[in-house]
Amino acid sequence: MIKIKNLKANVETDEGDKEILKGITLDIPEGEVHAIMGPNGSGKSTLSYVLAGQEDYEVTNGSVELDGEDLLDLEPEERAAAGLFLAFQYPVEIPGVNMSTFLKTSINAIRKQRGEEELDALAMLKLMKAKCKELGISDDMMKRAVNVGFSGGEKKRNEVLQMAMLEPKFCVLDETDSGLDIDALKIVADGVNAMRDGKRSFLVITHYQRLLDYVKPDVVHVLAKGKIIKTGGPDLALELEEKGYAEFLEEAA
Amino acid sequence: MKQALDVQNLPTPKVEEWKFTNLSRAIPANLVDEDVQEIIIHKASGEISEQPEDISVYAEDNQHTQHFLKITLEDNAEATIIERQSGQGAYWKNMVTQITLGQNAKLHHIRINDDTLEGVQTNMAHITLARDAVYNGFSLNIGGKLTRHDIHAEIQGQGAEASFNGVNLLNGTQHGDTTILIEHQAPHTQSNQFYRTLLDDKARGVFQGKVHVHQVAQKTDGYQLSNALLLSPDAEMDTKPELEIYADDVKCSHGATTGQLDEDPLFYLRQRGLNDAQARLLLIQAFVDEVVDKVENEAIREEILEKSNAWLSEALQ
Repeated sequence: MIKIKNLKANVETDEGDKEILKGITLDIPEGEVHAIMGPNGSGKSTLSYVLAGQEDYEVTNGSVELDGEDLLDLEPEERAAAGLFLAFQYPVEIPGVNMSTFLKTSINAIRKQRGEEELDALAMLKLMKAKCKELGISDDMMKRAVNVGFSGGEKKRNEVLQMAMLEPKFCVLDETDSGLDIDALKIVADGVNAMRDGKRSFLVITHYQRLLDYVKPDVVHVLAKGKIIKTGGPDLALELEEKGYAEFLEEAA
Repeated sequence: MKQALDVQNLPTPKVEEWKFTNLSRAIPANLVDEDVQEIIIHKASGEISEQPEDISVYAEDNQHTQHFLKITLEDNAEATIIERQSGQGAYWKNMVTQITLGQNAKLHHIRINDDTLEGVQTNMAHITLARDAVYNGFSLNIGGKLTRHDIHAEIQGQGAEASFNGVNLLNGTQHGDTTILIEHQAPHTQSNQFYRTLLDDKARGVFQGKVHVHQVAQKTDGYQLSNALLLSPDAEMDTKPELEIYADDVKCSHGATTGQLDEDPLFYLRQRGLNDAQARLLLIQAFVDEVVDKVENEAIREEILEKSNAWLSEALQ
């Protein structure tokens, strides 16, 4: 499904280019959930931005293939059409654009790129209502401007709603759990679990082990200083939580 | 017998009250003076006009036209006036507007400025509000070589409220100027100014807004915001927000921004499948729509959105 090979990326700073990702290799087969854990500054969010094609980062080496297609040559919207979805750590507020216009524009932009027929207003409304109901989102939210005045929980639920509506092949969740109380976390996790269908793959980026109690990963990777330093099963997350990052990284070094 | 326009008496930089706009350079040569055209609208006490009324202010090629618009709403009267500015060829339209609102009168005044790219419009509006009167103004400016809107509002009665909202969409070498002076002369009065300006190519926008709170005008609530979006490095926005306050118990705020589209929302939209052009168009439409939303009448609001969207689709290609 997704194959990341020796990926290196720089970000431009005042003191010149700085390498953030220092050779990441990762293979997520169809239907699997992989978690990436790591301390602050390890490159977790950079990885998600680089996968999605954010222009602030320059890829200097490596490749990223989604079902055999090289993503790095594609524009962000083409990656979205190819099936990559990024749930943002900090969902962006867009004043003046209401949710239903946004969702409609987004879905049809993707359908059009995929050569599918655009959804009409009625089909869109049905889809929206059904997905909102599944995620416990009120219809009122559809009339509000995208993420404007949303609580932390609403913003994250909104990311999951978009993920559910766009039906991607590969979902990257960038610290979707941070800032959520336990109830909001459960709703978000339920939404993600509902989308696990044995085909869709997930990369769950998190700082805390807590989320992984609700979204069970198949594989856990530990990222530090731009490299994956350890890979294991779900137990690895527990070990990490128990020891704390400092001790864990010391042992691994 | 019609006479050629005498350009010698136009304002110079020395005329301080004018806040100089170089008219002598902007107005076309060899214009012919036309007689003053009057438009008078009068609503008697308590008269409520449900239907919006259209008025047209028009000039033809080579004309220097002069217009006097007088709107009087007596106590408790209500009206919606749509002022349509248009023309043909090169001209200078000079207009004076006098609006008098009686107690508890309510006026919605919508201006759609669709002048030609060689046409010049100067427009001085003087508005007085008696107790509890409401003036709700909106201006869409998409035309004109040079447009200058001077607005002087005197809020004379307590509880009165004046709002000035507007959208300027300018490209090429267009120049659009909005200069507003609001005087709060009574307690418990409110004023709002919300303007958004989009500038492309070498267009130039000016927003000068001043709120003057007299000493008697305690509990004044004055709000002013001007946002400009520059789509080209050669575009220019000049903003001068001013507050002059003599009362000691008031709430006044002003804000002014000039900048480019933010990258974060653009990337967010592109991650959701919109290409760069679609994402930009959506964000710019939203920038404009937030002001247009202030127009209460739905049919007029739709018309304004249609016009601004048509302008944007063409200009952003």
